[in-house]
Formats: sequence, structure tokens, C-alpha cells
Amino acid sequence: MVRFENVGMRYGLGPEVLRDISFSLEKGSFHLLTGPSGAGKTSLLKLIYLAERPSRGAISMFGRDIASTPRDELPALRHRIGVVFQDFRLLEHLTVFENVSLPRLVTGEDESHFRAEVEELLLWVGLGNRLNAKPATLSGGEKQRVAIARAVVAKPELLLADEPTGNVDPEIGARIIRLFIELNRLGTCVMIATHDQRILERLPSTRIFRLGEGRLTTGVAHDHLLSEGKRA
Amino acid sequence: MSSHAPTGLMPADSASGATLHTIVAVMSFLACLALGGVLTLSRLASEWTDGLSGSLTVQLLPSPQISPADQLKEAVRLVSQWPGIFSAKPLTSDDAKALLEPWLGDGKALEGLPMPQLIEVTLTPGQQVELEGLARALADSVPGAHLDDHKRWNAELAGFAASSEAVGWSVLLLIALATFAIVIFATQAGLQTHREIVEVVHMIGARDVFIASEFQRHFLWLGIRGGLIGLVIAAFTLIGSSFFWDGRESPVAAQYLPQLVSSPLYYLWLLFVPAAMGLIAMMTARFTVLRVLGRMP
Repeated sequence: MVRFENVGMRYGLGPEVLRDISFSLEKGSFHLLTGPSGAGKTSLLKLIYLAERPSRGAISMFGRDIASTPRDELPALRHRIGVVFQDFRLLEHLTVFENVSLPRLVTGEDESHFRAEVEELLLWVGLGNRLNAKPATLSGGEKQRVAIARAVVAKPELLLADEPTGNVDPEIGARIIRLFIELNRLGTCVMIATHDQRILERLPSTRIFRLGEGRLTTGVAHDHLLSEGKRA
Repeated sequence: MSSHAPTGLMPADSASGATLHTIVAVMSFLACLALGGVLTLSRLASEWTDGLSGSLTVQLLPSPQISPADQLKEAVRLVSQWPGIFSAKPLTSDDAKALLEPWLGDGKALEGLPMPQLIEVTLTPGQQVELEGLARALADSVPGAHLDDHKRWNAELAGFAASSEAVGWSVLLLIALATFAIVIFATQAGLQTHREIVEVVHMIGARDVFIASEFQRHFLWLGIRGGLIGLVIAAFTLIGSSFFWDGRESPVAAQYLPQLVSSPLYYLWLLFVPAAMGLIAMMTARFTVLRVLGRMP
């Protein structure tokens, strides 16, 4: 589904923030992406959700080589990816319902086609009674769940989440992780960027990507926790 | 340009929208005043030239060869029968004195002077008149008769009107260019505040033309609304000034300036100003959004 081969990335003329990144994500898999702050987790996610271009190497998404894909075909690929941004990026002037509906609206779909689905989704994330609320009136946890609902409303094949538990209390964080596990069981490939140890503890056998100094290593969460413990 | 139902993607009201409204309204007001001025000058020019080219004057200077009464009678007969002449009306000596009063004053100064007799000739509208032949016929048949076809006046007035109109169009062009630049600047500034929307919608898979059409629709209405506000204020100003000159019973304004209120249909052209404002804002928004999106992967 996603394949990176010797990918490097730099912002402008600055130093490379990612170096020789190679990995692949398979359909229905679950991954954690970890590493210290500034290690390049967000940059790697941006490459995956096609918000940045690599400075070298090859990226293939859903069987398409990105470098040779025409720009006007990229929106269709993006539509197959759901993203939960670290800072939510909800549109403040829209209601919860409208924010969640956006990925369906931008493809020209009529609201009558998806209204029931969006309402059901918001019920599922526990916001069935906040359909008409504006983001400014929501708590951090509620905003996070709106962002998750928006990321999954178009039934993406790949779901990316950047520090999804960073702004919420432990109870909400646990609930959010349960949501991701449930989505993964439905067949969505999930990748969560986090440095929250509690997530790793909850998912000890999950495949983990560790970023450090722009390079990627792989392993499982349990081993990573052990090595972190020894280092401490 | 793509067309789809509006999604409400753009906030209906925002601080940048209010600023753009105000700027567009002010520029629209100035453009409407300039266009109103040009239209007034244009109408003035055509009224003057139409008025002069539709009439002639025959002057009858005293001549020893013919009595004044016969001179007048013969001239009126000849002119009236000439093809293309609608009417030939002799002015009384009181009318002639009244015409000279502004220059020579009333009373005694005129009493000793030999007053020329005048015939006011009106042409049949839309019909060609052979003026040179008429002038020759008058000179041959009526001693002391002279035909004045206002050519010199007409040419001077037409020249004055044309140069005034040209100045008016230049001012309007300058205002249009300034408006263009200011509306572009204000639209771009307004778009900066909505950059977050552009980025988010781009990331969730919206096509560039979809995003651009959302923005251009929003800015089209914003431009038209601002333009209409300026138009309404300008209309009040123009109509107000028209009433002001009417109220003062100014002879100059009443006789020579076309009155806005008497010809409102003529000023329908002013409706182009808000339409142009809307189009400028719309196209600026479209190109700016497409340029911003073009820099994104």
C-alpha cells in the first residue's frame, strides 16, 4: 500500500531532516511511529499524506509512483488517506457536523447521501449530541474525536494520526486508541506518530518505527520499551 | 470554472471581509462619481452640439437697397421654402434687445444703434440641408442677409466637450487602475486570513478548482456588495448635487448642466461599477488561490 525507498527530505535549502528512509505499510496493518521531539515524525507523516515532496528516493502509494503521478491525480490519492493532525485543524466557523462532512463535500457528494453516516459516526465517537456545536465550544478531547471522525468519514484505506493523545487526559487517550484499534479491525491501515509511552504499553506487540536523527529503525513496541528502560 | 453547490466553506463574515467591503465601497464610490462625471460631460456635449446643429440664425443688416419690412418678408419666405427647414421665426426687436442686454446693458445705449433683424431657423431633425446653397440664395436675393450656421461655435463647443470628456475618461481610467490594484491587494490580504482553510481542504483531497471556485464565489459577492454600497452613496451624492443646483435656481446650471434626476435611465451605466468590483475580486481570488495551491504538492 505504501512503499518508501531510500527517501530523503529537506525543507528548502536546509539540512536533511529525513535520511535513507525505507519501509512499507501493508493493508490492514497497525504501526506506531515514535522518536524524540524534532526527530522528524511529522515530516515523515507529511510525506505519506502527500503534503511534502521528498528531496530524493522513491515513494509509491496505492501502487502509484508519486514522482510520476500528475498533480491533478494526487487529490484522488489523498482522498484514500485519513489524517488526524496534531493541532486538529478544525475549521472554526463550521459546526461539528460540517467539519466531519468536509471530505465528502469536497468530492461533490450531496449532503443527503452521507448525512445519516456522519451522524452515526459522530454517535460512535461519542459526539452524537454535539452536531451543531462550533469547535470553539468543545474540549480538547472532543476536538480530537471530531478530527478522528473527519479523518475516517470517507472510509480511508490508510489512517495517519500525529500525536493523537498529546492534548487529552489519559482516559480520553485510552478511548481514542480503542477507536483506532476498532478501525484497524475494520481493515484500515493505521499509523500513529507518538512519543506517549502509555500507547506503547497498551500495544506491546505492535510493529514500531523509531525515528532518530532523521533515520528510521524498526522493531516492536515491547522491545522498544525494554531498550528505553535499560537506557533509563 | 467548475460549478457546484456552495458548501459554506468560507466564513460568511470576518474582519478581513469587513475591511475589503469598506475598501471596495470607497473605490466604487469614487469610480461611480468619475463615471457619473464622464457621462454628464458626454451628455452635455451631445446636448450642446445637437442644440446648435439643429438651428440656424439669419441676420438682416440694414441695406439701402431694400426696406427692413421687405427684407424680413423676403428672407422668411425664401428660408421657409428651402428643403429641410422646419420653421423660420423672426425675432422681435425686443427679443433682439434682450439678447444684447448682457453685453450692452438695458436702456439708452441701445436706442441709437441700428439693430439687425434676426430670424431663428429650426431644421427638420434627421434631414440634410444644403446650407451653402441657402447662404448663396439669401445673399443673391435679399440684400444685407447673412446666414450664421453656428459652425464656429459648434466646433469650439465640440472641441471643449471632447477635451473635457477625454480628461474625464483619463481620471476614470486612473481610478479604475487604482481600484484594480487596491481590490487585488485587499483580496490577497483577505485570503491570507483564510489560508488555513485552503491548506486543510487541500489535504483532505479537494481539487484545486473546487477550492478556487469556493473562494471566487465568496469574493464575487463580497465585491458586488461593497460595490453596491459605493454606488448607493455615489447616487445619493449625484442626486443630492442635482437637487442642490435645482434648489438654487442657478441659471447656468439650469440651462447648461444636464440634470441627473431628469434622466435616471442614462445612469444605469453606473451599475457596471459594482459588477466590475465583483469581477475583479473574484478573478483575484481565483488566481491567488490557484497560485497558493500551485506551490503545494
